Order: sequence, then structure tokens, then C-alpha cells
Amino acid sequence: MKNTISILVAFGFLFLFIFASTSIMPPENNVKDYYIQNALEKTGSANIVNSIIWDFRSYDTLGEETVLFAAIIAVFLVSHKKGLADKKKV
Amino acid sequence: MDIIIKTATRIFFPIILMFGFYVALHGHLSAGGGFPAGAIMASAFLLLVIAFTEKEVENKFNEIKIEDIKSIASVSLLAIIIMEVVLRPDLLHTQTPLTLWSGGVTIYLNLFGSIVVASGLMIIIYSLIKEEWKSKKSTW
Repeated sequence: MKNTISILVAFGFLFLFIFASTSIMPPENNVKDYYIQNALEKTGSANIVNSIIWDFRSYDTLGEETVLFAAIIAVFLVSHKKGLADKKKV
Repeated sequence: MDIIIKTATRIFFPIILMFGFYVALHGHLSAGGGFPAGAIMASAFLLLVIAFTEKEVENKFNEIKIEDIKSIASVSLLAIIIMEVVLRPDLLHTQTPLTLWSGGVTIYLNLFGSIVVASGLMIIIYSLIKEEWKSKKSTW
């Protein structure tokens, strides 16, 4: 009974948020017009997608590269296990 | 693999690498950028690894070791950080727009980002295929 009530409450909040984000407060994304109008002047690159990725939101992309690098290091550490296992054999 | 795939790989490997480099260099003017360019370069390496056996691949890359590729990736990531944080105001507005030498900091970031993605995916592909080679259950 408690589970049903909590699930119902959770779904109610979900639909409330969806309703609020779509109809009560529609997304007013003014920044896209700014990007389209000023991308060539501000960054000098003709490709707007590239200027957004590497220039307007470049810290986001820096974090993306860092996440990729962390994944690389993880794969490297897991697959090149030269540490404890080889020492135990010797 | 049979000789058709080996010959095709021998022909297409430098072409695919060059196309990836082109996508990275031309990313601020046409469609593309750092991430797709790195994926294209890594796909060339994946083709090489699939087509040839272990000894042939390691004869081709006799000088380069996997640790060197890892350090190339980390140096490129460091270059990206330095360019975004330190050199960013100096590199903007120094080139003429709509030519190849334009885009401010974007062209450098495309290049180094593609190097990071390409070397990283190469390390992942090589590590996974080496496990496959060790177990000797590979079907190709």
C-alpha cells in the first residue's frame, strides 16, 4: 500500500514537472538566436556547431575530453595488469 | 583474413587517416570537428587490427609502443587545457574569417581534440584486441 502511494506520488510529480515545463513555463531559449546571429563575428568560424562546441561552451567540451581520458586510463589499467598478479606468479 | 581485405586495408589505411586529418583541420568551416575526426582516425586503426594478425601489426608498429600513444593523448589534453584557459584571449580575432586560417582558438582545439580522441580510441581498441589475441579464440 505504501509502495503504491509513493509510486503514485512520484508519477504525479513527474507529470506535474512535465506539464509545468511545457505549458506553464515554456522554454524561452534566447541564447540560440544570439549564437546564430553572432557566431561568425565572435569566433570567426563558419561552422556554428563547431563554434558552440569548442568556443562558447568549451569548458563543457574540456570536461568531455577529460571524461574520455579517464575512460582510456581505466581501460588501460584493467587490460594491462602487470602489477600484483605477475608478482605472485614469480 | 584473406588477401582481398589485406590489400584493401593496405590501400585505404593512409586514405582514411588523411581524411580524418582533413575533417579535423576543416572542422571550423564545414561539417565535422574534433570528435568525428578522432573517430575516423581510430576506425582506420581498427581496420588494420581486424585485417592483419598480431605479428604483422606489431611489425608495422615496431617503434611505437602503447605507452607512447598514451603519453601523446595526455600531452594533447594538457595542450587543450592550456589553450582554453591561458592562451584563449590572444588567439581570438587574429585571423581572417571564412578562410582556412580562421576560427580563432577553434582550429587548434579541433586538432588537439582529434589527437586525444584518436589515440584514446586506439588504446581502447588495441587493449581489447590484445585480450582477444591472448585467448586465441579469434575467428578472423
